[in-house]
Amino acid sequence: MENETREKFIIPIGPQHPALKEPGHFEFSVDGETVTGATVRLGYVHRGIEKAAEERNWVQDLYLLERICGICSHAHALAYSLGVEKLAGVTAPPRAQAIRQLVAELERVHSHLLWLGVSAHEAGFDTLFMFSWRDRETIMDVLEGLTGNRVNYSVNVLGGVKADIDDARADAIRRGIDFLEERTQHYLKIATSDETFLRRTRGVGYTSREQAEELGLVGPTARAANVARDVRVDVPYAAYTDFPVQMTLDTRGDLEARFVVRIRELFESYRVVRQILDRLPAGELTARMPRRIKEGETVSRIEAPRGELFYFIKSNGSDKPERIKVRTPSICNFAVVTGTAKGHQLADMPMILAGMDPCFSCNDR
Amino acid sequence: MSTEATLQTAQALLAPWTKGARAPEPDRLDVLIDAADLTAAVQTLHDARWGYLAAITALDYLGKTASFAQDARWQALMASGRVPADGAPLEALYFFAAGRAIVTLRMLLPREGAAIASICGILPSASFFERELSEMFGITVTETPDPNHLFLPENWPAGVHPLRKDFAPGRQ
Amino acid sequence: MDIVKDILAILIFPAGLAVMAGGLAYEWIDRKLVAQLQNRIGPRWFQPAADIVKLLAKEEVLPEGVDSRLFYGLPVVALAGVLTAALYVPLFGLAPAHSFSGDLIVAIYLLSMLTLCSGLAGANTNDRFSLIGATRTLTQLFSYEAPFLLTLLGPAIVAGSWQISEINAYAGGHWLLFTQPVGFVVALIGLMGKLELPPFDAPEAETEIVAGAMTEYSGRGWALFRLGKNVELIIGLTLIAAFYLGGLSDPLGFLLKTLALLLAVAGLQALFARLRIDQTVGLWWRAGALLVLAQLLATIVLKGMTA
Repeated sequence: MENETREKFIIPIGPQHPALKEPGHFEFSVDGETVTGATVRLGYVHRGIEKAAEERNWVQDLYLLERICGICSHAHALAYSLGVEKLAGVTAPPRAQAIRQLVAELERVHSHLLWLGVSAHEAGFDTLFMFSWRDRETIMDVLEGLTGNRVNYSVNVLGGVKADIDDARADAIRRGIDFLEERTQHYLKIATSDETFLRRTRGVGYTSREQAEELGLVGPTARAANVARDVRVDVPYAAYTDFPVQMTLDTRGDLEARFVVRIRELFESYRVVRQILDRLPAGELTARMPRRIKEGETVSRIEAPRGELFYFIKSNGSDKPERIKVRTPSICNFAVVTGTAKGHQLADMPMILAGMDPCFSCNDR
Repeated sequence: MSTEATLQTAQALLAPWTKGARAPEPDRLDVLIDAADLTAAVQTLHDARWGYLAAITALDYLGKTASFAQDARWQALMASGRVPADGAPLEALYFFAAGRAIVTLRMLLPREGAAIASICGILPSASFFERELSEMFGITVTETPDPNHLFLPENWPAGVHPLRKDFAPGRQ
Repeated sequence: MDIVKDILAILIFPAGLAVMAGGLAYEWIDRKLVAQLQNRIGPRWFQPAADIVKLLAKEEVLPEGVDSRLFYGLPVVALAGVLTAALYVPLFGLAPAHSFSGDLIVAIYLLSMLTLCSGLAGANTNDRFSLIGATRTLTQLFSYEAPFLLTLLGPAIVAGSWQISEINAYAGGHWLLFTQPVGFVVALIGLMGKLELPPFDAPEAETEIVAGAMTEYSGRGWALFRLGKNVELIIGLTLIAAFYLGGLSDPLGFLLKTLALLLAVAGLQALFARLRIDQTVGLWWRAGALLVLAQLLATIVLKGMTA
C-alpha cells in the first residue's frame, strides 16, 4: 500500500508551468526526488495547419507554413519552397539560393542563442540567460535589417527570395557576426568550465550512440551523441554545395555535449555567413513559377536549427496542394525526455527537456 | 555508397514483400507492400541497418478511386470485400531515409476498420508517429505501446479524424 | 500614562516598521544589484513596497484540504519570529533594543522560525509542488543550519560571551574577518541558503516546482512571508557585519558594512547556476560544516593556549 501510493506520486509539468514557454504536458512519476517514468501529451496549441494548407493555394501556403513556428520560420518556408520548386521543375537562381542559406544560418544563430538562454534559465543561471538574450538582439536586428521582420522573415517566395543584400547591408551583418563570435567564445568557456553549471549538465540525460539512434533523435541532440546526421552535409540543398558546412559532432552524449555541439555550430554558422557575404553570386532573385503545380509527390528535407525538418508534398495538379505532411525535429527529440528520464533527479527534468530544444508550436502544427 | 546503390540495396532487401515499385524521383524509391507485411519489411530494413525512420503519414484518396483501377493492391482489397463500392482507400506511408536516399513503404488500407501493426517493437521512435497517424487518419495501430491521443483533446468525438478528406472543419 | 505608551508601542511598534522598511530597502538594493550584474535595468526603488501593498490588498485564496488555522497562522508566526529576533541585534548600528546573556541562541532560533514556518506551510497544503518544495526547504534547513550556527559560535567563543551586544563590542576591536575567514565565508553563504537565494533556491526553483512551498500562497500570507524574508535579510547581514566586520556602533558604519556584504551576496547570486538539492546538502556537509568545525577547534585550542 505504502509502495503503491508512492508509485502514484506524479508531478505534472504543464500545460501551464513556469518551466515551459509553450504549452505541453509532461507527467513525471517520482519517488522522492527520483523520477521513475515520464509521459508526453501535446496538442494544446494545435492549429490544424496541415489541414488548412489543403484548402489554400500554393502561394498562401508559403505564408501559412512559415507561421508554424516563430523560431524556425525560415526553415519551414525554405523546406516548402524547395519542395514546391522541385515539383514544378523550377530552380531558384544561385543568388536566391545563397541568400536563403544565409538567412537559414542567421536563423540558426538566433535559435541557438535563444535556446542557450532558455536552458540556462532552466538551470537557474539567469545571468547567462540575460546575457545570451541580449546578444541575440544583435542577430534579430540583423535579420530585421535584411528582411524587414524580426520573427517571420517572409524572405522566401516560390522561385526565389525577395530580399537582396548590398554592400552596406553585408557590412552590417559582418559587424553583428564579429561581435557575436567574440561573445560565443565566452559562452563556450562558461558551458565547459563553470563549475556549478557543469554540475547540472555533465553526465545528465546521457544517451549512447545506439540509444540515440534507437530513440530516433535528430539534429544537435543526436550529433551530441556522435550520430553523424546533418541534412546540410548529407543532402546539400539551397547553396550548401557551394558553401559547405562542417558537421559538428561530440562523443559524450550528455547535456554538456549538447551545449558544446550547439555552441560550436554557431562558429560554423558565422564562418559560412561570412563566406556567403564574400562570394555572393550575382544575378536574378526569382525564377518564374507556374500558378498550378503539376501532379506529383516530393520529399523536401532541410536541417532546421533543431534537426531534420521533413516535408512531404503531394500535388494533384491544381492550384492547391493535395497533402502537406510536416514532420518537425522536435517530435523526434521528445523521445529523449521519455527515454532518459528514469533514474534522474526531478531537478534535472527541466534541463533535459530544455537540452533537446523543444519547440511545441512546431509539433502542434 | 552512391544513392543508386543504396536504393538498390533497399529494393533487394524488400523484394520478398514488394507488390510493385516505382521511382518518383531519382533519389527515391516507392515500394508498394501489403499492410500485413509491414513489420517484416521494417524488421528487414532495421536488421540490415538501412537508414532511419523519417516519418509516418497517410493519404486519403476520397473521390480518387479511379486512379487505383490498375493497382494490384486495390484489386486485392476490393476482392477481399472489405471496401464498400464507393469507398476510397487510405494509403499509409512509411518514410525511411539513408543519406540522400528515401524509401517509402506504401500500403493501401480500407477506409472502414483500417488497421496496421505497430512497428514500435522494432523502432521505439515510431510511437509518436503512430499515435498521430491513428488519431489524424483513423488508422488503428494495433499493439502500439501508447494508444492515447497525442494532439487531439480527450473529449474529441470518436470516429472523427481531422486529416481525412471528408473532415470539414466547422461543419462537423 | 505608561500603560497607554506601552499599548501604543505594541500596536504601532515604530521600530518594527523601521525594520520592515529597512528590509524592503535592502530587498530593492539586492534586486537592483543583481539586475545590474545581469545587464538588466531592475526595479524602481519603491517596487518591493509596492509589491507588498498590492499583495496585502489582494484576495487570499484558501486552497482546499488545508488546515485554515495553520494556513493563516504560519505567515504571522514567521514574521513575528524574525521581528522578535530584530530586538536582539544591533540594527542600524544602534544598541540592541533588548539584551540578555544568551540572546544569540534565541536570535538564531527565531531566525529559523521563518524557514520552519514556510516548510510547514508547504506541507500543510495538498499541492504537489508545495509538498516537494516543503521537503526541499526542510532538507536545506537541516543542511545549512548547523554550519551557520557554528560560524556564529566562533566569534562567540573568542569574545567569551553568548550575548550579541558583547560580541559586537568585542568585535569592535578585532576584525574577525581576518582571523576567522572560513567562518565569515560560510556565514555569508549560509545566509544565502537561509534566504533561499540563488544558487541555493532549489526549494523554490520555479522551473521545476513553480514556487515550492509557497505555491498555494497568495495575497496577505505571501506578503507576510516575503516581508519576513526581507527582515531576515537585514538581520542576517547585521549579525555577520557585527561579528566579522569589526562590529557595529554607528549608523554610517552599519550602512557601509551591510551594503558591502549585500554587494557580495548579489554578486554570488548572479555568478552561479542553481544547485540541485542533493548538491546543496553535499556542499554543506562535506565542505561547509567540516571547514567551520576545523576552524572552531583551532579557535578553541588557540584560546586555551593563550589563556
